[in-house]
This record gives sequence, structure tokens and C-alpha cells, in this order.
Amino acid sequence: MTVQLDKQSKVITGNAAAAYAAMLCRPDVVAAYPITPQSEVVEQLARFHANGVLDCEYVPVEGENSAQNVVCGASMAGGRTFTATSSYGLVYMYDALFNTAGYRAPVVMVNVNREPPGIHAVCSGQQDMISTRDTGWVQLIAESCQEILDTVIQGFRLAEDHDIQLPVMINYDGYYLSYLAESVEIPAIEDVDKYLEVLKSQPQRPRLIPGQSIGCGSHGMGMGYVELRRRHMDAMERVKAKVDDIDASFAESFGRSYGGQVETYRAEDADIVLVTSGSVTGTARTVVDARREAGLKVGLVKLRLFRPFPVQQLSEALKGKKAIGVLDRSIGFGWNCGPIFMETKALASQIGIVPMLSFIDGLANMDITKEHIDTMIDAIYDASQGKDYQETTWLP
Amino acid sequence: MAEKKKKMPRVFDYFEEEDLFSGGVAWCAGCALELNARFVGRIMGKNTVLVGTPSCSAPVLNGQNTAAWHKLGHYACTMTGVASSATGLSRYYRKAGIDANVMCFTGDGCAQDIGFQTMSGAAERNEKMIYLCYDNEGYMNTGVQRSSGTPFGAATSTTPVGSAGHGKDTAKKDLPMLMSMHDIPYVATATLSHLEDYAKKLQKAKEKSREGFVYLHVFCPCVDGWRIPTDSSIQVCRAAVRTNYFPLWESEDGHYRITHNVSKPKPVEELTGLVGKFKHMSKEEKETLQSMVNKRFNILKALCEGTQNAA
Repeated sequence: MTVQLDKQSKVITGNAAAAYAAMLCRPDVVAAYPITPQSEVVEQLARFHANGVLDCEYVPVEGENSAQNVVCGASMAGGRTFTATSSYGLVYMYDALFNTAGYRAPVVMVNVNREPPGIHAVCSGQQDMISTRDTGWVQLIAESCQEILDTVIQGFRLAEDHDIQLPVMINYDGYYLSYLAESVEIPAIEDVDKYLEVLKSQPQRPRLIPGQSIGCGSHGMGMGYVELRRRHMDAMERVKAKVDDIDASFAESFGRSYGGQVETYRAEDADIVLVTSGSVTGTARTVVDARREAGLKVGLVKLRLFRPFPVQQLSEALKGKKAIGVLDRSIGFGWNCGPIFMETKALASQIGIVPMLSFIDGLANMDITKEHIDTMIDAIYDASQGKDYQETTWLP
Repeated sequence: MAEKKKKMPRVFDYFEEEDLFSGGVAWCAGCALELNARFVGRIMGKNTVLVGTPSCSAPVLNGQNTAAWHKLGHYACTMTGVASSATGLSRYYRKAGIDANVMCFTGDGCAQDIGFQTMSGAAERNEKMIYLCYDNEGYMNTGVQRSSGTPFGAATSTTPVGSAGHGKDTAKKDLPMLMSMHDIPYVATATLSHLEDYAKKLQKAKEKSREGFVYLHVFCPCVDGWRIPTDSSIQVCRAAVRTNYFPLWESEDGHYRITHNVSKPKPVEELTGLVGKFKHMSKEEKETLQSMVNKRFNILKALCEGTQNAA
């Protein structure tokens, strides 16, 4: 198989889009372990490597924990690194996720969303991503195969930015996107080089080089630890505006953009709004269009950045609405609602007290149908009209 | 003015560097690990990056609220991620054309237990690095708990001696032998009582790690955890070699060789008698330990004979 490196349009899966994007960014070290539904990413990268298209150190590790440690180590030595995982694989590298983020290693990783628990829960859901939200990684969610490819490229630009230096996890729905084949525009490798060139003009980040008396991973205790945590948090806050900037500069280079932290759809003049993320957003857009035609002023807000949470952008999008619904494809224990709902609800001091409804749907590959979205919109509308409402609803 | 030069022991010829560790390090009085770290540093040289983990060596290698007590590059990671982190470093150095000795430096708890999978994986992939395991036969840093490197009979805080318990009731995992089965370029055992043997092996390790994975297993008594006097570490090392409890051997490209022949091995009691953790053992238990030592040594001997003339 020969891989063309010129600009081209191709019908490829979400997994292949992720692999193409990683290859185009010329990583120094790629380490990964296969897991359904991510395996195709590793296989495709292995083929790129075997065919000489991807000139990197390719490390086919014996487990995800090692995958994460390999890319963290290589990153701290100064390399550009990529890995991919899903579900239990993400959980199996949980300890290493903290280190990669804490060491400020700019690793880029795709996580193909899949449910735990249950070994046969080989089906889509965002619980894996949610369960790692406090590890200190930037977490982005892509909606389509094209957005996967573009977000991975943006991910390298973001992770390695001198003001950021944080690992970036790009999430996309297993099955719905991992195996969905659609037309994807693959940019020319020189154009990707050009887009990432700005990183070379930035000051070099600290790296562990032999012959130098330098240590890595010494957080220490007491104030040494506190200082590093504070710096980590500050960098995370800088991510928000950077995601918008990078999305805008990506549009200049490639003609595509995704709204940065959040994307709004017919939300500006809407009375009620539904918040979604990932592949279901397409279905929701269709339903919003239909309901608009029927005269209902409903809008849509797609959450693209989950960590850090886009507090300001999301507040602006939701301010003044009469009722808000949030669709979660995972559950949050303790508050009896969806996790993204829980975080959105924390915006109440910015957006005011209005009815907010949590919808839990799409667990374990259960399709989120147009009918489901209609049901959600009906419930949000009723709540906006002052009717009694149930805070958390499980669909189907 | 002609200066009279004091004749140095031959082991000094192997030193590439001055001592790379500072004085006043945070190790216990009489700690064999300290002697190992200083010795390894002098032979491996400044181009070495050590990869370590929470352990007795961490405060010194890593520093805690203070600078580290040495001049080498150092990467600290979790116990699950030592050989894999080292893989990342080693692979990137190769990609970038940077010459380096990447050396994992951990205790037996990490190497034999929680970090074993990743070490075995790195060995199978023949990653270019050295893994040095300083074997103090348990988790000495955290209060002397048993590991799979703890020998039969030894008392630890998780295999205590009581009316029903008699110390650890299973054998020590034979890690160097296990690693030699990974078809890697070089495996060796070493200890502080036989320094020139140790130095030669470190030098060879440095060379062979250019080809692939090298595993060094270093017997390293712990004065605190083993309940031995602070001036007896080297004596205990020597007893371990003389009893064949810890034979000195190497396997180079699959050829096994005993590097220090013990013509008349002493009974294992000569070791156990020196060490507090074995003091409670009955005659029968000591016999069991002796038979374990004999069995292992016979396997090693058979491997040496069997691979002597192999192509």
C-alpha cells in the first residue's frame, strides 16, 4: 500500500482519520496497544511505519500502562509522541495519566470512547473519558471523522505550545465514529508542517538529556508540590483561549473550524437549548431544524472542550435561556445525574436559575434516535413553561 | 619530588568517573544500596540516565524538597512504569541520535512484582537499556514487607513469625534466570563482595545494551530489614556467594557461565546464621531452604554445561 502525502479526499473511518492525522504530524515515538474499538488506529499506524511513510520509533507495547509510560518518557526526552486507547485501556494507564500531565509532557492521545464496566461492554459511551477528567489532561470531543483528523492536528499544536505544555486527549465515540466511513479531506503533509511550524519558533521546553544533571518527576512534598500543581492549573486555564485561537488559525490554514471550545447552532435567539457532545450532535441538529420549522425556538450547544471546562463560553451560550437540557452518555454517581449536566449546573451563578434537565442516553451503544431528542426537547420546553419537571431522565 | 603511589586495587581500573554522588546522602548507616549506587555511577559514567521509582533509592536519586544527591540525569516514575518509561527515553534518544546509557535502577519489589510485566515486555522487544535490580529481598523502604523476591523462611512484616506463621512459605522467584529466558543479549548476577566481577559485568552491560536489553541482578542486603549489624553487609554478600545461595553467573547471548566458582560450597546456614530474618527457622526449614538452593544451582550448572559449546 502506498500512501499519498498530497492533499486528497478519501472515504475513511474515524480510526483511520486519527491515524492519518498522527502520521501527518510526524511523531518521533508512537506506542500503543490494541483494544476494540481502537485497534484500527494502531494497525493503520503500524502499516504507515512498515511502509516507510511514518518515520518514527514504533513501540508495540505489552499493555496500555506501558504505552502511556513510553510516550511520557519519550516526550520528556524531547520527542513528539502519539498513542491511542479506549475504555479499559485508558483505565489501565490511569496511574501514568497523572504523571504525563503532572510532568507536563505534551503527549497527544486519541481515546475511542467505550463503556466500562463489563468485559463485554464493547460498545460506545463516554464513561471512560469522564472517569479520567481529574488527571490533568486536556480533553476534547470530536463529532465527525473530519473533526477527528483536524482535532488531532490541532491537538499537537495545543499540547506543545510553550504556554500550555500539557497532554491532550481527543475523544470520539466508539462504533458510531470509529467504524463510520465518510469522506474526509486529508491535508498535504507540507501544509501540516507549515501549520505546526510556529512551535519551532517558541522557546524549547525542558528535556531530560544524558550528561546533564537534570531530574524529572520530582514533585516533592509540601510547597514544591503545591507550586507545580498551581502552575498546572494555570496552564489548564490558558488552554481555553488557546483552543479558540488554534481553531481560528486552523481555519486560516485549512478552511475548516469547529467553534473552538463550544459550537452553537441556532442558539443565539433560542428560548430553550440542548447541550450535546460527540457524534449525536448531528442527529440533534436535524431535530432542531425540524422543530424550528415547526416554530419552536430551540437551539443546540455542542461541547467540544470538556477539560478544562469552558465556563465562560458555555455560560455565554446558555445565558438568558428559559430552560436547558444536557445530554450525557455516561452517569455520575452521587448526584443522580449525568456528569456533563452536573458541571453545567455549576454555571448557575453565571447564567441564573432556570430549569435544567439531565438526560442520560446512548449508554452501551443504545441509539440516541430523533425520537429521543424530540422527547428531550419536549421536556425542556414544558419546563420552560413553568410545568413541573423531573431533573434526571433515563432514555430509552 | 617523586611521589610514592599507593597501589590501588584493580577494580579502580574500571572507574570512568569520580564518585557522582555527594556525601551525606539519605541512606541508612551501612546501607549496601549506597555502595552499589556509587559503584555503578563510577563505572557507567556521566552519560547515564537513571530511571527509578518510589523506593529506598528515590530520596537520593530524586531529591525530596531538595536537589538530588548526584550528578546524573534521572527520571522518576511509578513502580509500574520503569522499563516502559526507559523505553520511551531510549527510543527517543535513538531517533534523535543521542548517545546514552539508559539504566533502570530499582529494587526487587518493582522488578519482580509490580513492574515485572513492563520489564518482561521491554526485554521481549529487546529495548536498548540496562535494568539493574538491587535485590534486598522485599519492600525494605516501606517497612519490610514481603515481595516475590523474599526467600523461603524469611520473616517480614507481612510474613511474620508467630504461633502459626513461620515466615514466608514459598520460594524466592528466580528473576535473573527468568530474565535470561527472554533471549536477550546479556544477563548477570553480581554483588559487592566480588567487586571486580561486578565491575566487569557492568562494563559488559554497557557494551551489550547497545545491542538490546541487559538485565543485572545485584544481591543487596538491607541492614534494617534483615536485622544485621551495620558493618556486616559485605560479609553477608560473601556468605551468599560461598553458600551458592547467590551464585555469580552470566548469560551472554545464551551462553551460561559461572563467573566465580565456589569449589566447596558452605551450607546455607552460614548465611542464615548471620541474618536476623532467618533466625527463627527450624532445622527442617533450613533443610528445605538448602534443598531449594541446591536445586537452583543444579539447574544453573546444567545450563552452563548445556550451552558451553552451543553455536
